[in-house]
Amino acid sequence: MYLTKEEESILNGNQGEMLSKLMKFIVEIGDSFGAEKLIEIVSAHTVLNISLSFCSAAAEVLHRIAEAGLKVKVRTTADPVLDMDYAKELESVYSLFSMHDQVMEDLAKIGVYGFTCTPYYIDNKPKFGEHCAWSESSAVIYLNSVLGGRSNREGGILDVACGILGKTPYHGLHITENRKGQILYKIHNDIDTRDVFNLTSIGLIIGETAGHKIPVIDGLSQISTDQLKNLGSASASTGAVALIHIPGVTPEANTLQEALQNGKPEEIIEIEMKDLIEVGEKYSTEWTQPPKNICIGCPQLSKEEVINLIKRLEGKKINENLTFWICTIEDVKNFILNSDYRKILDASGAKISTICPTYIPPAKPTMTNSAKSCFYSPSTYRNLDECIRIATEGWKNE
Amino acid sequence: MSKILKGRALSRGIVEGEAIVTKQPFSISAAFAYPLVSNAKKMKVADRTHELFKKIVKDKILIFPIPIGTTTLGFVLLETIVRKVGPKAIVCMEGEPLMSSGAVAADIFFDIKFPIVDQIDFSELEKIEDGTMVRVNGDEGTVEIL
Repeated sequence: MYLTKEEESILNGNQGEMLSKLMKFIVEIGDSFGAEKLIEIVSAHTVLNISLSFCSAAAEVLHRIAEAGLKVKVRTTADPVLDMDYAKELESVYSLFSMHDQVMEDLAKIGVYGFTCTPYYIDNKPKFGEHCAWSESSAVIYLNSVLGGRSNREGGILDVACGILGKTPYHGLHITENRKGQILYKIHNDIDTRDVFNLTSIGLIIGETAGHKIPVIDGLSQISTDQLKNLGSASASTGAVALIHIPGVTPEANTLQEALQNGKPEEIIEIEMKDLIEVGEKYSTEWTQPPKNICIGCPQLSKEEVINLIKRLEGKKINENLTFWICTIEDVKNFILNSDYRKILDASGAKISTICPTYIPPAKPTMTNSAKSCFYSPSTYRNLDECIRIATEGWKNE
Repeated sequence: MSKILKGRALSRGIVEGEAIVTKQPFSISAAFAYPLVSNAKKMKVADRTHELFKKIVKDKILIFPIPIGTTTLGFVLLETIVRKVGPKAIVCMEGEPLMSSGAVAADIFFDIKFPIVDQIDFSELEKIEDGTMVRVNGDEGTVEIL
């Protein structure tokens, strides 16, 4: 690929060995995907902070970057970390997070702060057309689809390398022509599209059938950005979907024609209610015992979603033998804990946390309304009303 | 005579091994994260929704149409490479940086080669039977059926 004189100089090691390695890393990946050059980015989001034991090699690379004294050039956030307000509850999983302290120290050294899978709810919210280097599949799909920012699904280490260099290879979704809708989905009118549970199930089907292609969904003109977050996170789990167009909703799809860049879809797929029931059963783990954990907030909830959930808990009490987790960003957690909503929350016994639901100690069985959670860990998939009902009224031979 | 399939090189290195082929898209995170956490010596696919569920993929050449799933897959792959518990190479129809970043990182930061070759028509790849010896050349972007 074409490199500027400065990029060449970095590659040749004139600014240190580690920076040269990071440059080599992004240039090699860019070259293999046919990138003609590197472009400047405005922000990065990394998943490199997951300090579970399956990430020790990645953590070692992060440590070497920090030791070399390198710092990110653009605003860089990272995925959720442990929530020490629940140290007692999380005690049983500490051993799995043996690298947590080191990783947090290294991230601080290189200038990464803000820990959430929804960085767009804090101050990492790029504008339309801005180039970024993001990881976290649910965040990338939100960035591309809802904000109209541009990022490929970068992956851990690559995201940090791009953040430090302030650049990313110019290929894939950075290029307008590659953002063209390819598969048209039609939503049958037997589906109630106001129900977010139906939307997340639609997301599971879209991921399965679109794979790495770009879906256009016709018939969801009323979908909210939070709902699109939940749908997209499902598609990014069962598939490699990084951008969804919804005519009349998403910024590159004022019309169906615009979403398809005036072309024709390669395929048209209709989704009916029976498909949603089928896919829900496929990804739900049906435990024979009542749930020990019910987790709401994968991806983490927005302020509106949290308030809506807490209002539904008013006058209700979570059963003693289970924990009801509400996962959100730190600002929202603090807002709730300092507001009148706290009374409802405390009376209900639900716990509000900044944790990622997948870090919650594996007291099984687990139940969730998150399609993404069900894909990655064996959880029972139920809508929010059902989750609240079972949490408060108990399990009656479900 | 061996047959050579020409594709695109996503990460360097040349290795030989037995093929294990699936027609289903493959989630590296869903397949490998749990065995890595439990320190398994031989990687068995942990994705219960996948046809390769419980199959051993250690030292195999893993062949699938496309990688799917969450963005942890790059460093989950890196970890399997560095710990030498997973496949030796990957061949697929269409890869993405998310996956190849794990293999390129293994090369640059740990000096371990793990070739990935993509852009080979899946109609050719699905003809390869499980257990067939193949040579993956990540320098040239070829897959040789031995």
